Amino acid sequence: MEDFLIEMAEILEEDSVRESDELNGFESWDSLAALSVIAMADEKFGVNATAQDLKGAETVGDLYALIQAKNAA
Amino acid sequence: MRLSFSGKAITGILAVVPANERLFADEMANFNFSAARSRKLAEVMGYDRHRIVAGPVCSSDLAVAGLEHLFLQGQLAREEIDALIVVTQSPDYLMPGTSKVVHGRLGLHHDVFCLDVNQGCAGFLVGLMEGFMLLDQPAIRKVVLINVDVLSRKVSPRDRNSYPLIGDAATVTIIERSVDARPIEASIKMDGARREALIIPAGGFRRPSDALTAEMVEDADGNFRAPDNLKMDGSAVFNFVMTEVPTLIDDLLIDTDTAVERVDAFLCHQPNRFMLNKLADKLGVAYERMPSNVVEKFGNSSGVTIPLVTTLNYSERLTSETMYVCMSGFGAGLTWGAMLMDLGPLKFCETIDFEEDE
Repeated sequence: MEDFLIEMAEILEEDSVRESDELNGFESWDSLAALSVIAMADEKFGVNATAQDLKGAETVGDLYALIQAKNAA
Repeated sequence: MRLSFSGKAITGILAVVPANERLFADEMANFNFSAARSRKLAEVMGYDRHRIVAGPVCSSDLAVAGLEHLFLQGQLAREEIDALIVVTQSPDYLMPGTSKVVHGRLGLHHDVFCLDVNQGCAGFLVGLMEGFMLLDQPAIRKVVLINVDVLSRKVSPRDRNSYPLIGDAATVTIIERSVDARPIEASIKMDGARREALIIPAGGFRRPSDALTAEMVEDADGNFRAPDNLKMDGSAVFNFVMTEVPTLIDDLLIDTDTAVERVDAFLCHQPNRFMLNKLADKLGVAYERMPSNVVEKFGNSSGVTIPLVTTLNYSERLTSETMYVCMSGFGAGLTWGAMLMDLGPLKFCETIDFEEDE
């Protein structure tokens, strides 16, 4: 989780982010950031996520849960 | 589908790029995004500048300029051309095919097999495959393969998804028989079920262009485009490339008993630097053996990018020695493929500018 939050902070161009942070609250949360999350999920967690998968996520924690669920599948 | 070809070789490659250059920094204001986010996009994707036609330049204009240059330099003679393949998604007319337009404008003789192929970013591989097959005919000794697109004319300037990366260009590739050439091994796959991932929705017979198809509509990401414009589902294409392409290349390497280290260069289609670096990571290839510098300087010119990345990066090496290369193209169709072959020494391997009339 900690590694994930560090990665997310970098993608969202923040010093740090929390699980409960709303994605839409970040000015930098756009299609480019989503693409970066997909690439990060693949690289760091070996998970193949799609932009469609990401659409359901509202918070940073939702993204983590999504990756974990895909990892377990 | 696994394909093999024997006794065939590429003997020359010429690239033609519009002299007109546009800077991403100057075009940022057209997009519905903050300057900071646009700059971030440019940094990740490798956008800096691109070459696009300024006026109503057509595919046959770039093709004719390339062939006339070769005639003038004595690299090719009109009467030597037995087959002329034009691979494009931006034809001069719906009918006749652009290969006939080029044939007529150059005044070629009547014993020429002219063929148009509608292919996108895998168009260099598909064109080569067609060319190799034509060379099995004794009457066909020299095939001229032209890859050309002027798709910037179909991309909305307010579409941040596609406009910063689009490029226009043409290449002329000469293909001939070569008795002692090593076999060329290839693999190609197609999936029409995903045809809408890269599409120009209007302008064909399914939906003819009218006033309505020219109307700009805003999408969920804040891009403006009309049904007459090229539409790319960026994340669908990204996922497609990341899942299908490494597997196809890996399978071809395994099937041909080729170690990744034995390949001197991976000459890939050039969608953007981000995707190419991810692709290199997945295949375990060092970035310097998979050049990704076409988009930042010239833009993505669809089926032209594989020969263009070749003339831009290996011009000197390929005119003096042989490289063992893996080419890979992927895009509209969807179509994806790879080809392993010896390349060089080539008679010519250069890039020239196309100047538009004032």
